[in-house]
This record gives sequence, C-alpha cells and structure tokens, in this order.
Amino acid sequence: MAKEIGKDRLGDFYKEGSKVRKRREWRGVKDTLYDYSRWLKIMMTLGKFVVKPRNVKAMLRYRWMANYLAVPMMVDRHTQGLRGEYLRMCHVEQDLIIDDVAKLLDNLFRGDRRIGNDTEFSKKVVLVDENEMTAVMMGFPTLKCLSRETPSTYVSVLLNQHAAEHYLDVAAEFGLATDVCPMPAAEAGVSIDDDAPVLGACAIQCNTTCDGSLLGNGVISKRLELEDGVPVFQLAAPLRHREDDVQEYAAQEIRGAIAFVEKHTGVKWDWKAYFECAKRVNYATACRQEWLDMNRTDYPQVFGSNLALYTETNYMAICGRVEDFEKADRKLTKLANQAYEKRMRAAKEYRHRAIVWGVQSHFYMDFLVWLLNCWGIVPLTDMLSMVSTKRIAEEDTPENREQAIYDMAWLTENMIMRNRTHGGYKVLLDELWEFTEQFNADMVILWEHINCKALDGMHGMFEDRARELGIHLVWVDHDLFDPRIISRQGVRDQINLYMRTVMREEPIDPSLEVLPDDESW
Amino acid sequence: MKDLKHLIFFEDLLQEANNKLVQQAQEEGNVCVAYICENTPEPLLNLPGTFSARLRAPRTGSFDIATYYLTSFLCEYSRALLERAIEGGYNFADCVITPDGCSMMNRCVENMELLKAVGKDKEHFFYEYMEIPMKSDDNGLNLYTLQCENHILKPLREHYGIDTSDRAIRMAVAEHNRVCEIIRAMGEFRKAENPVITGYEFSVITLATYVAPKYLILDKLEETLEELKTREPDEKNPFRVRVEVVGSETDDPDLIKLIEESGAYVCADRYCYGSFPGRDPIVLNDEEDALTQICRIYMQRGQCPRYMNTEKMIARRQYVADLAKEYRADGIIYQQMKFCDPWAYEKMLGSHILREDFGYPVLAVDRPYAVAGSGQLRTRVQAFVESVELKKIQGGAQNG
Amino acid sequence: MKKTLKIFLKLLGVLLMLFTGTFLIYIFNLDMKLTAAVEPWLLKHYDRIDRDRHL
Repeated sequence: MAKEIGKDRLGDFYKEGSKVRKRREWRGVKDTLYDYSRWLKIMMTLGKFVVKPRNVKAMLRYRWMANYLAVPMMVDRHTQGLRGEYLRMCHVEQDLIIDDVAKLLDNLFRGDRRIGNDTEFSKKVVLVDENEMTAVMMGFPTLKCLSRETPSTYVSVLLNQHAAEHYLDVAAEFGLATDVCPMPAAEAGVSIDDDAPVLGACAIQCNTTCDGSLLGNGVISKRLELEDGVPVFQLAAPLRHREDDVQEYAAQEIRGAIAFVEKHTGVKWDWKAYFECAKRVNYATACRQEWLDMNRTDYPQVFGSNLALYTETNYMAICGRVEDFEKADRKLTKLANQAYEKRMRAAKEYRHRAIVWGVQSHFYMDFLVWLLNCWGIVPLTDMLSMVSTKRIAEEDTPENREQAIYDMAWLTENMIMRNRTHGGYKVLLDELWEFTEQFNADMVILWEHINCKALDGMHGMFEDRARELGIHLVWVDHDLFDPRIISRQGVRDQINLYMRTVMREEPIDPSLEVLPDDESW
Repeated sequence: MKDLKHLIFFEDLLQEANNKLVQQAQEEGNVCVAYICENTPEPLLNLPGTFSARLRAPRTGSFDIATYYLTSFLCEYSRALLERAIEGGYNFADCVITPDGCSMMNRCVENMELLKAVGKDKEHFFYEYMEIPMKSDDNGLNLYTLQCENHILKPLREHYGIDTSDRAIRMAVAEHNRVCEIIRAMGEFRKAENPVITGYEFSVITLATYVAPKYLILDKLEETLEELKTREPDEKNPFRVRVEVVGSETDDPDLIKLIEESGAYVCADRYCYGSFPGRDPIVLNDEEDALTQICRIYMQRGQCPRYMNTEKMIARRQYVADLAKEYRADGIIYQQMKFCDPWAYEKMLGSHILREDFGYPVLAVDRPYAVAGSGQLRTRVQAFVESVELKKIQGGAQNG
Repeated sequence: MKKTLKIFLKLLGVLLMLFTGTFLIYIFNLDMKLTAAVEPWLLKHYDRIDRDRHL
C-alpha cells in the first residue's frame, strides 16, 4: 500500500489457483484515483458494448468471447507497479487499444451472418489477416477493414493465457502437426471449429509472417472463399524485403490488391484519404523515433510492453487510418518528455539495460513489466518495435501517387516480426548487435519461440556472436500461444536462473520470483 | 525379378553428395552448382560448362553441431545438410544457390555461409539467395525471371564466365528433357498390373538424376530403359496394394523401400526429389525467350505448398488425385518431415480432401529424415496396407 | 434555496455512494472475481453449442 515506486511486494497480489488477483494496487491517492477513473472508463466501454443485444448474442456464440471477461485484468497486469507518467502512458495506450478492439468486435458482429446480419454493412467490409499491415486499406476510408483473427486469437491470448488452447487442440485433432507455430495453428483451429464470424465483401490474406502463417491462411480461405463465398485475394509480400529486385513485385501485388477491393466493393481508391493516412504514419514514426532516442539515454520513457504492444497496434493494424492514434502519439510524447525532464524512472532500481529480441511470448506480454520490477532489467526496445523508420510520401502529387504504391509495398513487406525474421540474416542477426551498441545495452533477452523456425535457425549464431562481443545473452524459451508447453513460471525461471547463477544477483522484489499464476488469466 | 544391371551403379551415386560422377565432371572442368529446393529451375544450372548437384546428406548419423546452430526444432533435412556442410562434405561445390523456399532451408544455407562451411579455397565461390513467387500469375513470372537472371545467370556469368545466352539455355533444356523423357518412360511401367520396375528402383534412378551430372548419366539411363522393356516381372505380384506417395523433401529411397516391404507398391511419386512434377519435360517454343518459358513452366507446374493462391491450392490436391487415378493407386500416403511447417498444413488439408472429396484411403504420417530404422513408421504403413487391402477385398477402394 | 441544497446534498450522497461502491469493487477486484466465476459457466455453454466442425 505505497505511493512510492517499488515499495509494494507485487507478488503478494497473486493467489494460488486463482484466475484473478486478490486486489488492485494502492498507488497513493492521486495515482489510485487516476487508475480508478480509467477503470471506470473501461467499464463504461464494456457496458456500452454489452448493452447491444447482438453483442450479447455473440458472447454466447463464440467461445473466444469469454476471454473478454478479463479486459480490466489485462490492463492491471501492464500497469503493475507503475506510477505517475508511466501509469498514464500505459493507460493512454491500453485504453485506446481496448476502445479500438471494442469497435472492431461491434463491427464484426454487426455484419456477421450469424449475429447482426447487416448485409448492407457487410458489403462494406474487407477482411484482413491478424498479422497483416493494413497499408493497402489507407485509401478506402468508407470501407471497414476488419480482422477476425485479431479478436478471436491475438487479443484473446493477451487477455487470457489459456485462450488458444482449445483451438490448438481442435487443429491437432484434425491432423495438424503440433510442432508448427501455434499462432496460425490457433487461427486455423478457430476456422475449423466454426467459430469465426462470417461477413465481408471480400478478404485480403497475406503471407506474413511465416511459412505457418502462409499455410494457415489456406485453411481459413478454404472455408471463407469456397463455402462462405467471400472472395479472397492472397497478397504475396516478398521475403527478401531489403533487396531492390523484389520491390516491383511487391508493388504490383499492392496494385492487384487495390484493384481487387475496388472490384468487390465498388468503392474507388481515394488518394486524398491515403495521403492523410500517410501523414499520420509519418507522425507515428517520428514519435516512435523520439521515444527510441530517449531510450538510448539513462532515462528511457516509452519502453517495455508499453512500446511493444502499442507499436504492434499502431504500426500494423492502424497504419495511419485512425485519427485517435495520432492524438495518443501526441499525448504519449508529451508524457514521455515530462518524465524525461524530471529524470524519472519507472522502477526502484535500474540494473541492466536490455534489448529484447525475438518473438515475445504472447501469453505473457506483461513479462517485460516483471523483468523490470523483479530484476531491474530495463527492456529498452524489442524486436517487434524495431520496424520501418522510412518516411513515406505524404503530399498528393502525380509522382507521389506512384511512389505511394511502393511505400505501401514497403510497409507491407516490413510488417512487424517478419521484417526481422525474414529478409536474410542481416536483419535478424547483424542488426541486433548494432542496436545493442546504439542503446548501450549490456544484456540481450532473447525470446526463443520454439516453433518459430526462422528464429530458431539463427540460434547458434546468436550464441557465437554474443560470446564474441561479451554481451549477456539470456535465452527465454516459450511457445507463443501455449503455456502448456512452457508456463509463465517456466519463462520466469529462465531469467531467475541466469540472474542468480551467472549474474549472481538477488531480485529487487523477491515476491515476484515465483508466482502462482498457472491458473491465472 | 532379375536385378537391374545398373542399379548398384545408381545406388552408389547416392552414397555421397560428392559422388564419382560429380568428381569426374569437375575434373573435366565443369562448374558444380549446388542447389537446394525444387523451385530452382534445374536447366539454368546445367548450362554448357556447369552441372547441378542437388544437396543431400546421405548416410546421415547424428547432427549435433547443426542442432546447436539450428536447434532441434528445425527439420532434420536442414540440419543434416548443415551438419554435412560443417563436416566439409560439400566443399566440392563451386557455388550454392537457394531460393527462400522455406525458412528452414534459408537458415540452413545462411548458416553455411556464416560458418564459411562451403567453398573453402575456391576463389570464385558464391552464395545466392532467390526470392521466388508465391502465386502463379504474371507478376510472379516477372519476379521469377528477374530472380533467375540476377541470382543464377548473372553470377555464373560473372564468377565463372559461363555462357548464359538463350542458345545455351536451350541446349541445357534439351539435355534436361532427354533425362526427363527417359524417367517418364520408365515411370510408365509403373502403371502395369504387375510392373517390371519397383517403386524403390524407380526412386533410386530418379534421385540419381538430381545428384549427378546429366550428361554423364544419360547412357546408363538409356540402357536401363531398354532393359526394362524386356524385363520379366515376377510371376506373382508381391505387392498387396498400390499407393501414391506425396510430400516434401524425400531424398531417401529407404522410405520407398520401407513402404514396399510393408506390401504397398509405390506407383506414383509426388514429392520433392520425385518424378512428379520434377521430371516433366520442359517444352519450349521459338517465339519467346527460353528463360521466361522455363520460369513459367516451373511456376505453373510447381506443387510446392508455398504457392498460396486459391487456384493453386485446389490444383495441388487435384494433381494428387489425377496421378492416383492415372497410376491406379489404391491409397495415398501423405508424408512430411517432422517440423516442416508448409507440409504440416498441406498434409492436413490434402489428407482430408483426398479422403473426403476424392474417396481415397489416405495415410498421413510425419517422419524423420532417415527412415530406414523407423519401426513406428513401418507399423503405420503396415496397418494402412491392411486397411486398404480390406477395402479392396470388400470392393470399396474408392469409398474411403 | 433549501430545496436546491437538499437536492444537491442528495445528489452528493448518491454520488458518494456510487463512488464508494465502485471504488470498493475496483480496489478489491470484485469485478474480476465475478467474471472469473462466470467463465466456467460460459465454457460449458460453448461446449453444448452445435457446430459445423470441419476443415
């Protein structure tokens, strides 16, 4: 019950065998009231959502909707131990993401043939993948670009670590090998389990992020296109995205996708809208760069899961299409600058500066908060946040209209994760060490998503290079969507072991070292 | 049946990546283009002065060092190749060309490069990575052609002074087609009720054409084809059922042997290193340049699951069904190497679709790279043979 | 004037009660404890739904 950062034993909030925590944190009057007010806002967002009968109907139809019972807890997990500006930054991001997902769900159920069945609305819907840059929708402001996989699997696992297990089992029951990446496997499981909303004038699938994702789309399109009659365009983004000789191919794919959407929706591409979005993309990039610059100093501000989750959403799913995110960018930058000027720190003690690399454990996104609170390891940036910083053309001129096609292609090729896991070893291996130097990091936390072949395939080289450079490299194995393979405690133990045996350190907050959260959401 | 005269010769070629014909061709001054993945257009690697060798790791034992570099989660094929490279088993190669067919192969070759495992003391040695299309369309064709130009022809020209003209490519295609026609003709014998060639023999011969210089193997191929024309089959067909084998990289004839020892004749081979579609002749016209035509043919006939457009996906299963019909298969075996992402999905979809929509009994299995000692796999194939045979007896082979 | 004050006090009382009630729910995590209790019921419900489960 403390106002000061780091006074609470955060592990004491957990309860053995429980899905939820004993109580919420007392952060001093001002911060508690602030957190309470944001909680009220979230409750209102959820209330507004639930008040619509079709959403209740959907809640009772789709298994993954049960995970949304855990929305407030997801925020609590990410705000753990935070005070002042850090608490506010986290809420700015989390609350906006919640709003955005609530709108997405509402729209999905409105058009869903099983639920709202608003056919006119459905005709304006273009379905996209969960792991897909939405750049190609920047010039279609009157269309709804909706992802079914985002709420059914991606967000669900953020909310509830066990959310994907049922769908993984369904896919395995139908013969899918269990050694593939569980993300596309779970998405395929949702489709097989007849648990995906059915709507849309057409759909765009993309080969991001990996072989599994590409093939998983085949399972989904089989049902979506051949049975539900929703035409699907497969957008092929080149893998060797840094090479000049693939850019024309990528651009032509974008042209093809735009023509496909125009054909199936009857809506024409709007250049004015596109360039407005492009300005916002550039603004978001500039903000992200500013935050990253701060993170190179002794006073990093927007980092950890704050940076990771927000970048994923803003860069990939939003891609300049939603004005509210520009406002959030502005607010975050303001808060970060305030905190920087005050030389503030988010935890009691900063011991190590770390680059977090690899594909993070999705069922344990708040691990980065734990890392900071338990061991004083500051996750300065992560692989998924190190995306394109290229400015795209934002003035509407004839030349820029042509350039815009290449910009969209570039963004699509450089989607989060795949911009590092594909495109040759330079982007995954060599650039890590460059970032380590730029950020003055003494440690690399290397997520090894055990079924991510592109990442596993560089395992030995990471080891060799870290040894050569004298950097502490801490491997953290996990299975992305499936805590049955490696639990959250299993994830933590890998850090605990390294910190105790190699670094010979004691935790800052010992109550966090072992947590009874196997049953937790 | 009487043993084929050259079977041991062909089997010998499969014992080492650096087999005696590879050595002979290099001694004759030819450049050895090592490559991985069926999406690399083979004739472009067999221009005058060059010959191709598709990398394998025969007689693989442990791959501990490769497992350190790639982890145990990458398929054993990629690990076996890297291990063999680290052991120095591919130092004969004058270059390595690979498409980004799948992440694992890509990482395998990248590790070879980073570890400088291949090309020691070869001044002109190079690695090339190609982007290849994921859809069969005009855009894909443009990409394919450009990539072959930039990552195969140009480096061969610049590093080794190879003639990469249209004429040279057409010469390579002519030689390639001669091999394909022979393999196709041999494959035709598999349609017979009591065939004069076993699936194992056919797989050995086909595989040899991928790993040995074509010009040095042609005479033996021709002779074997002639021999088959007069070969007497056993009086009683030793096989109980006929199966088509479908799947990913299968460079181990022991898999086919294991299946045949379990009582199933392998009548059709739709897998990478198999004859479908890899040994379909490439028919060129005179109007268009050869490079574009080759790329188009490779793209259109490609059965790799990385082709993601709906038409291609549907066509892949149709292709398997058509082969099963043409070669009178009683059942289909979908096999994938463990940890192979593309084929994990393709196997799941293909096995369901071939069973449910086409009515074939299907066995879906995953397997290690080297299968000879796999009792588990043998048991599964035996059980499948029993079930298919039972269906045949009951007259319901097509009822799934 | 008295009436206005009365209404104001009543309103204040209601708001205070609302605040106290919601704050107690918030600080003791009662919202999550309730939803955690609801989840098993929902999961059983999903198991009972007829589905066209296929590839």
